[in-house]
Amino acid sequence: MSAGPYNYSYIFKYIIIGDMGVGKSCLLHQFTEKKFMSDCPHTIGVEFGTRIIEVAGQKIKLQIWDTAGQERFRAVTRSYYRGAAGALMVYDITRRSTYNHLSSWLTDTRNLTNPSTVIFLIGNKCDLEGQRDVTYEEAKQFADENGLMFVEASAKTGQNVEEAFLETARKIYQSIQDGRLDLNAAESGVQHKPSQPGRNTLSNDQQFNKDNCAC
Amino acid sequence: MDDVLTETVPAEELKKFEKAYHEQLYKQDVTPKAQFEYAWCLVRSKYPADIKKGIFLLQELFRTHEEGQRDYLYYLAIGNARIKQYTEALKYVRSFLNIEPGNSQVIALETTIKAKMDKEGLMGMAVAGGVVLAIGAAVGLGISILNKKS
Repeated sequence: MSAGPYNYSYIFKYIIIGDMGVGKSCLLHQFTEKKFMSDCPHTIGVEFGTRIIEVAGQKIKLQIWDTAGQERFRAVTRSYYRGAAGALMVYDITRRSTYNHLSSWLTDTRNLTNPSTVIFLIGNKCDLEGQRDVTYEEAKQFADENGLMFVEASAKTGQNVEEAFLETARKIYQSIQDGRLDLNAAESGVQHKPSQPGRNTLSNDQQFNKDNCAC
Repeated sequence: MDDVLTETVPAEELKKFEKAYHEQLYKQDVTPKAQFEYAWCLVRSKYPADIKKGIFLLQELFRTHEEGQRDYLYYLAIGNARIKQYTEALKYVRSFLNIEPGNSQVIALETTIKAKMDKEGLMGMAVAGGVVLAIGAAVGLGISILNKKS
């Protein structure tokens, strides 16, 4: 019990969404384990991952719900959208159909999350340049038109994977600082944890009271 | 702190899938999809009775609908772990891994279940320790009262 229950000051909830086989779980795995899963079976329902990161000197625990892309899970996975502070929406740059479905994913996300939810568009598999089916420019335009952040990334090489997860967290943290994100709202997807100094103060107080009572 | 064994289904979601299932049940034409969606919500309920019902529905699906068996095994493991039937839960995990060894999602679930068992084992000990302390305190109090009387 060296670090105590909270060695971070915030929890941010993320969801990862997008068509089947675009590499959502591989992105999660690359981010949490820094490894590429070459043989990645279809996710059942939802998979869960966490990692503690640092933004502006604050430790933040990311609680990431990676949803299955298969259609038969879609009705229930929608219940995981609620209270997400960040949504990573993924398509595969080598399969145009996964890009064409983005508006449907975006509609779901907008309907089921709150206005302050940060949506980050990821064009995965950018290591497969030879098989490219969606240009960077058109995806960038789609992102700009819809107010989304955007990168092309590769879960295989790790390129831009950290950036996508961390940039999302920075944007959420900025919203908190600006007061645009209400920490007390149940659906904000952010929990604030008592910081270490606060806990120390508490135990000091108890110590103080005890001393007073000893007379 | 949420994970796959502690997160709970929003009440209105559970109701929505319960309604869909019951409508089909009334017509005596339940699709595996409706039954699975309802069962998946049930095993994520905060009430053990719901979870048990979810397990029952998943077992039925497992026997009758071969196509979705890996999904049913996975949620049978989760449901059992959530009502602390860890041995049963690990049995389903092992059945899954016999078919798909190296499935990282299921290996992660196994780790989560074992961590929870360890934690509760320790907590059990902590409770026992607390009882010992309480008895010690009671004995101490008794002695001090006796001392005062004398």
